[in-house]
Amino acid sequence: MIVCVAVVGHQNNPLYIQSFTEAEDALKLHHIVHCSLDVIDERVNNPSKSGTTLNEAFLGLLYPALNYKVYGYLTNTKVKFIMVTSDLDVRDTDVRSFFRKFHAAYVDAVSNPFHVPGKKITSRTFSESVTNIVSSYSFN
Amino acid sequence: MMGLSLRLEDAGYAVGSRVLELLCNREKFSNAEFSDKSLLVVLWLLFSLFQGNRRETRLLGVLSFVHSTVWKVLFGKVADSLEKGTEHEDEYMISEKELLVNRFISIPKDMGTFNCGAFVAGIVKGVLENAGFPAVVTAHFVPIEGQQRPRTTILIKFADEVLKREARLSQ
Repeated sequence: MIVCVAVVGHQNNPLYIQSFTEAEDALKLHHIVHCSLDVIDERVNNPSKSGTTLNEAFLGLLYPALNYKVYGYLTNTKVKFIMVTSDLDVRDTDVRSFFRKFHAAYVDAVSNPFHVPGKKITSRTFSESVTNIVSSYSFN
Repeated sequence: MMGLSLRLEDAGYAVGSRVLELLCNREKFSNAEFSDKSLLVVLWLLFSLFQGNRRETRLLGVLSFVHSTVWKVLFGKVADSLEKGTEHEDEYMISEKELLVNRFISIPKDMGTFNCGAFVAGIVKGVLENAGFPAVVTAHFVPIEGQQRPRTTILIKFADEVLKREARLSQ
C-alpha cells in the first residue's frame, strides 16, 4: 500500500506532500522523504555507468527503510517525485506506470496559469487525481 | 519600450516552463493532433528521438530540442535554422524567416527596435532555464537582401556556468 507521495522542486523545496495512512506518524514519513532527497542527489550527480543510464527519469528503488520502500522519479525540470510504499514485493512496471500517471497529473497542475512555479501546489483537482491514482494502485 | 519587452518576455517565460514539463511528459506518448501525412513524421520522431525519455544534459541536445520539438509543438514546424555565433563562444541563434507573432504586427517607427518576438524569446528562456541551462534570450530583426521583411533571430546567450559544465562534460 502506498503510504506517502511527495513532489519536491528543483531547489529541494517541498511542493506537495500527502500521506495516505492515519496509522503511521506523518512526521516520520516526511522525514523519510527528506532523507531520500539526498539519495536522489547522489544518483544524479554521480551517475554510475554500470547502473542506470545517465538521463533516465525513473530512478527506481532509492533505499529500503525499516518497513518501507522508497521510489524516486526525476522530471526534466529537476522536479522529483517520491513514493513511499509499505508493500514488500512491488513490481517495477507497476511503479513506473504509477509515476507516469503521477507525472501527467503534475503536468496538469503546473499548466495552470495561476500556479506560481516554486510555490506549493494548492490545486484541489491535483489532490483528487493523486488520491485516485494511489487508490487504484493499492494492490501494488 | 523596455517595459513592454520585459512584460512580453515574462509572459513567454511562464509559457516556456509549462511547455517543457508538458513535452517531457508527452515524449512517451504520441501527439494527439496530427494529420495523415504527418503521422509518419511523428512516428519517426517518436521512434528516433523519444526512446527512453531522456533528460537533456548537453548544450547541443537541449538546443536541438528547442529548435525542433518545441517549435513544432508551438508553431507546427521546426525553426528555420540554428546557428552558432562566431564572435562569442556562448552565443547561439535560432532564425525564422517569418516569426508567427511578428507576421501580422507592424512596428511603428517611433518604437525603434522593439520586437514582438520578445514573447517567443521568453518562451525559449523559460524552456532553457527550467531545463538547467540559464541564458539571456533576446529577439532581433536581421534585414535580408532582396526581401522586404527582415528575418527574425532569437539570440541565446548562455550563462558562464553552462559553458563550464559543458566543457567538463565534453572531456
